[in-house]
Amino acid sequence: MLLETIKKDFVQYKAQAEQGEFLTLREQAFAEFEKLGFPTTKHEEWKYTNLKSITDKTFQSTCEIKSLVNELFNASIESKLTANFLVFVNGSLVNELSKIIEQDNNIVISSIAAARKNNQTIFNQHFGKYAKVEGEAMNALNTALLSDGAFVFVPKGKTVTHPVVIFNISDASDLNVLAQPRNLIVAEESSSVTLVETYYAVGANASFTNVVTETYAGKNAHVEHYKIQQQGGESYQNNFTQIFQEADTNINHVTLTLDGTMVRNNLHFYMNGEHCNSLLYGLYVTDNKDFVDNHTRVDHAKPNCFSDEKYKGILKDQSTAVFNGKIMVHLDAQKTNAYQRNQNILLSDDATVNTKPQLEIFADDVKCTHGATIGELDEEPMFYLRSRGIPENVARKLLLNAFADDIAEKIKIPELVELLENLIDEKL
Amino acid sequence: MSGDKNKVMLEIKDLKAEIEGKKILNGINLVVKPGEVHAIMGPNGAGKSTLSSVLAGRADYVVTGGEVSFNGKDLLEMSPEDRAREGVFLAFQYPVEIPGVSTTNFLKTAINEKRKYLGQEPMEATAFLKFMREKMELMEMDKALTSRSLNEGFSGGEKKRNEVFQMAMLEPKLTIMDETDSGLDIDALRLVSAGVNKLKDGERSFVVITHYQRLLDYIVPDFVHVLYKGRIVKSGDASLAKELEVKGYDWIKTEVEQEANA
Repeated sequence: MLLETIKKDFVQYKAQAEQGEFLTLREQAFAEFEKLGFPTTKHEEWKYTNLKSITDKTFQSTCEIKSLVNELFNASIESKLTANFLVFVNGSLVNELSKIIEQDNNIVISSIAAARKNNQTIFNQHFGKYAKVEGEAMNALNTALLSDGAFVFVPKGKTVTHPVVIFNISDASDLNVLAQPRNLIVAEESSSVTLVETYYAVGANASFTNVVTETYAGKNAHVEHYKIQQQGGESYQNNFTQIFQEADTNINHVTLTLDGTMVRNNLHFYMNGEHCNSLLYGLYVTDNKDFVDNHTRVDHAKPNCFSDEKYKGILKDQSTAVFNGKIMVHLDAQKTNAYQRNQNILLSDDATVNTKPQLEIFADDVKCTHGATIGELDEEPMFYLRSRGIPENVARKLLLNAFADDIAEKIKIPELVELLENLIDEKL
Repeated sequence: MSGDKNKVMLEIKDLKAEIEGKKILNGINLVVKPGEVHAIMGPNGAGKSTLSSVLAGRADYVVTGGEVSFNGKDLLEMSPEDRAREGVFLAFQYPVEIPGVSTTNFLKTAINEKRKYLGQEPMEATAFLKFMREKMELMEMDKALTSRSLNEGFSGGEKKRNEVFQMAMLEPKLTIMDETDSGLDIDALRLVSAGVNKLKDGERSFVVITHYQRLLDYIVPDFVHVLYKGRIVKSGDASLAKELEVKGYDWIKTEVEQEANA
């Protein structure tokens, strides 16, 4: 059972940990986790997402590395980019594959472990300040037992010229593995950075990744954040991202889920200043008995902010998708503009979608729209293409690719978009 | 008219069709030879659009009787894509917007699927682009339109011109124009008609379905047929269209009612 392993892990961790603020934080988080336990389907936010197949298993935290990992990295589309790479296997940094090409020494791209030593002030100022632990069992678990992860610090006015690829591999060659990566992104005032957060899995055993990312965007900062999930085999992932926005910030967040036995994404935005733009786009392409759950939450806490959300799904076989999009417009968030759409195409009678838009509006001068669709491909475009001599199967692919590429094209790295579109094409 | 006088391209015999149990076509007969332009006119609800939909193979319509042969082959047996690849082209009354599919990619796919069907090698990318450029010039198409998603955000006129451009690219033997003139201003109408006229080569045939005579000032028909209550009730030459423009459809309706009563 996972719970026992985790308890043992924490005892072990405590025995060798340094005393101090960090340990206290983790002890508190562990206490919170013990209090809450793993979420069950009785919990409203986890109604459709049953973690039993994870909690019934045992998973080990390990940092052993197999050669397979190098091959996987080199074969990946992300490795083709001219970028900064932080590569983690089962949550631990792999120095040989990591490579920082950014020239400006004021910009920090490192592991969390390194940041705790070298950038203590910034680290302590931001770590654990945005992704709350109270009431959030999985965050608490991550905080208590996090292994390592990415730390990106962009000082005021700086631009990171190349994307930062946070490359995660679960290596389940020998046993069931548990990884708990933790990322902290701090983009100070008027800075700019592009992140590519990506997940793979290898090996015949099961893997469970429980990751938390905190992003702080200072005034007028611009953060592009692309999440690409394609963990193969028997893989489980819980991904929590909290983005904290000061005034005038622009965040463009794209989540592509192309593989994984069970993926739960929690993407939260908090707008703490006026004139913020929050863009959140997602695509999930599922097959077999795969399960993908996207829970998003946008907190419009201040006036004059804009959010645009569009999640699209293509479901095959007996797969299941869940979408829950919460938009909270706080009392003084007047002149809020918030848009939300969730569109699903079911390619099989056995596929299931549960979609729930949730708008909670406490201000009175706002513009909010939402809509959800679940269906098959529209007949009219299909007939149009066929009437031009394009056979049904080719027409279907053209239309599905167009449907999916709409989201992939929200990514602003053209060479990555092209590679992703090929990948999506294969998957379809 | 310079096509082979003895050859028949399209032959419709006693065609009957319905949608959702409602009888729309009640026995259509029509023969189109190579190079001919036929206009099909008629009041609203006569079955004009149903006829074009049935010929193109739209699934909602059920053929309950009759037959249609196209160059000797049973058209009604074919899938919509096979009809297209055999050389039938339907210019839609309401062309569909397809976001995310570029006109270029769409046409390349359509042309190469047709070539595959006919046992020909696919067209090379450069040859295709050259071919497309030529047709764009011929049809006076704006370059910007082909780089955009298919029909997305196009005005009514742009959509119809895009239909004629597609026709030029796909080089069909028979084109069915379904109320192409509806919603067009006079300039767009002129451009669309000029495009069609450029494609006339003495072999290619056209069935022009329209409510109004206006379009036929530009695309001059060899034959005009009046469709009413799902049947062709009157046929003539281009002068019949002029007569209808002046007199409207009521006299035809009256004639039909009288015949029925007699």
